[in-house]
Amino acid sequence: MTRRRGLYILVLSVLAVSLGCARLPENSVSPGSSPDLSFCYAGFPAEPWESVHKIEATIRGGVFSTLLGVTRGDPSERRLHSILLTPEGFILFEAELRDGKIRTLKALTPFDSPAFTRGLMEDVTLIFLCPQGKPASWRIKGDGTRTCLWESPDGSRTEVKGSMELGWQILRRDNQGGVTREVSLNGPFVQGLASHLELRAFQPAAYELRMTLLQTGP
Amino acid sequence: MKKLLFLPAFLFTILLCPATGPSQDWTSLQEAFRKVKSVQADFLQKRRLQILKDPLLSEGRFFFDASGSLRWEYVKPLRTVMLQKGEAVRLYHFTEGKWKPEMTQAVEARRMVLAEIQQWFQGRFAENKVFSHSYSPGPPARVALTPREGINRFIQRIEIVLSVKPGIIDRVEIEESGSSRTSIEFRNVEINPSFPSGIFEKP
Repeated sequence: MTRRRGLYILVLSVLAVSLGCARLPENSVSPGSSPDLSFCYAGFPAEPWESVHKIEATIRGGVFSTLLGVTRGDPSERRLHSILLTPEGFILFEAELRDGKIRTLKALTPFDSPAFTRGLMEDVTLIFLCPQGKPASWRIKGDGTRTCLWESPDGSRTEVKGSMELGWQILRRDNQGGVTREVSLNGPFVQGLASHLELRAFQPAAYELRMTLLQTGP
Repeated sequence: MKKLLFLPAFLFTILLCPATGPSQDWTSLQEAFRKVKSVQADFLQKRRLQILKDPLLSEGRFFFDASGSLRWEYVKPLRTVMLQKGEAVRLYHFTEGKWKPEMTQAVEARRMVLAEIQQWFQGRFAENKVFSHSYSPGPPARVALTPREGINRFIQRIEIVLSVKPGIIDRVEIEESGSSRTSIEFRNVEINPSFPSGIFEKP
């Protein structure tokens, strides 16, 4: 009886531990032991690139629009140059990020507000450039999924999780913990660029961008 | 936005201009122009941008009826279509196995621009307030279009290269500000074809 009770407690303990592990909050990131954090950056291009994407934008209320997005980037310099075009090839918007400053080169109505420029370039940065500095915490789960968390001085956080096989997810949270952006990067990856990606913005404005990689180059 | 949409609108127009042989003068060109009632063609568009090493390539086809209908369609890499019938202009994008209407402000702007360029379809270049023109008999024959005040901030020059075969345009070159350029090469051009019903109404 005593042996049976011991076995019972052991089984319960194992189950409790297993369930406890399985129910760890998704965003509970604990420091890992590996000093090699390259996995935290694997979802982003490592070398200078240029790319062309089809962008299908859906704004709250059901407004739908299709555009072409051209981007050239240099990760080491944290430089970006982005152009939005109509399917006919007409430039609607052009801006660059250099030395941390955004410069608008061309912007037509309704793409000519400072808020649009800032928001678009922040989205492009979130998608293509890994967060600055080292992650505050990280972990590798048993299934190979990596999670890395960056914290900004203003209290906002960026979480990158996934794998090259399963794709990556980027979560951007404000200083209250609310998700402001969610990006899904799905392979195959070409020069570090996802073939398919979706960005969902929740605040201050709600919209969704679905992007398909059409062309890439050095 | 209206001014900026002159580029695609203008492209539609110049695609539809009837061309003449190298020996024809401007008057003959305009005379041939008036005989064109409908056009259809395939095209290859090469969009060169300063930040791209290789041009953006797009393939498509267009259909025009001089009564005021136009279908301008891209088949690669994006599948989109703009339909104009009379005053109405509609845009559609093919996604997830079906055509989806594009609800953009550009629809209204395009409608206004296309209404204006109905003049061009009839060869009334002299009446155009956006571009001045000059004709070079060649060979190859060319029509150069120079933007007037305002639009020249965006487009510096447009050149239409005509085929030796009357009614056929070989290509169009558009030079923009900066080093951006667009060329459109035309293939399988047919003058005065008949169109199936609904081609200007359904995507």
